[in-house]
Amino acid sequence: MLDATDPEFRLIAQYEARRVQPAIPLGTRGRLGGEPFEVIGYLQRQVVDEPFTWSEYLLHNPVHGMRWLVEYHGHWVLSRAASGVPKSTKGSVTYQEVAYRHFQTAKAKIVAVSGEFPWAPRVDERAVVEDYVAPPKILSSERNAQEITWSTGEYIEGGAVWKAFALPGSPPRRIGVGAAQPSPYAGAGRPMFLLFCSFLALAVLVHLVFAIVSQQRLVADINAEYKPGTADGAMVISEPFSLSGRTSNVMVEISTNAANSWVYFTLTLVNEDTGVAKAFGREVGLYSGRDSDGAWSEGANWDRAYLPSVVSGSYVLTVEPEGPYAIHWRVRLTRDVPRPLWLWLALGALLVPPAVFLWRRAAFENQRWSESDHASSGSDDD
Amino acid sequence: MIKAYVVFGGLVLAALTWTHYTGWGPSDVTEEKVKSVRNNPGSYRSAYGGRSYTGAK
Repeated sequence: MLDATDPEFRLIAQYEARRVQPAIPLGTRGRLGGEPFEVIGYLQRQVVDEPFTWSEYLLHNPVHGMRWLVEYHGHWVLSRAASGVPKSTKGSVTYQEVAYRHFQTAKAKIVAVSGEFPWAPRVDERAVVEDYVAPPKILSSERNAQEITWSTGEYIEGGAVWKAFALPGSPPRRIGVGAAQPSPYAGAGRPMFLLFCSFLALAVLVHLVFAIVSQQRLVADINAEYKPGTADGAMVISEPFSLSGRTSNVMVEISTNAANSWVYFTLTLVNEDTGVAKAFGREVGLYSGRDSDGAWSEGANWDRAYLPSVVSGSYVLTVEPEGPYAIHWRVRLTRDVPRPLWLWLALGALLVPPAVFLWRRAAFENQRWSESDHASSGSDDD
Repeated sequence: MIKAYVVFGGLVLAALTWTHYTGWGPSDVTEEKVKSVRNNPGSYRSAYGGRSYTGAK
């Protein structure tokens, strides 16, 4: 029976309460990168005066030496000692011809330690750590009063770690974006840009081809004077005209000499063969003047509209103008005209996926760098 | 995402080709069935006929 008042028991109880349980138990063996390793040591570090902690597992292979498996917020990095000293430039370092951007510098301390190490780590042992990233690679330095050591690592999925060590359950849930986590958008920027350029060229080509092969034939051209309150020009009926070829559109163009006035046109396109009529109204109005701000104008005395999918056949057009003043007007019908509007809409639609891609890529990088010393800046990984 | 863009872009180009070929487009045109113009002059007068239009200003 244990005496709870025994000081030694209380010491053991406090130790048990503070002891950190590694997610990968010491002594666990597994294969990483095709080589067998055993977990022989575990460190938990914390940024001094801040709540950020991460775990470091020391792996050992009698032939290949030591490796570190570092975990922070469910993001894992497998690293090893660097074989040389990286070349340092402002804000970045170069190691084995790869440029790494500075990610963060922090003063860290050991808050928990267990297992075997090549040195004798102590709780509260402090060092300045620096991380430089070139996802999925990461270069880290650890500096204390005696030495500086460099290690190079690469991001590894938590699932791969669990599989390598045949661990039960699932790895810790990932939070945010890891410093060295490869972007799912990396490498897709150039193909996306090339695809957009290809689609843009094809869309312009389609429009140009139809601009060349379309009829664009003037089928009716009506001129008349309109005098309100009289029978003159109250309704004009065109001569029968033929719309030939495949089902396509008809462009209606109205021009007038209206000034500071409006005219409302009721137009009816009647298919003499089927009796189907397309009746529609268009209004033109042009106003202008001069005030304290200078000359102004509003509206237009012309108009353009398209009748979609008009079948071929014999047609007549009736035009009934209505307005307050006498005007001269002209209505022209042109068969089979490719609309530039559809080209612009297509280009707009084709721009949407690249825009979404760029936005998501930037959001991913912003999330990555939000954990760094450069939280306000983004990164272009292409 | 690239594959999805290929499919999306293909659909947009197909739609562009189809609208150009058929002359299709959204329309505010109203259709009505009328008799032959020559057999019944005036029967095709538009639905707007008869009302008094006051204009915007």
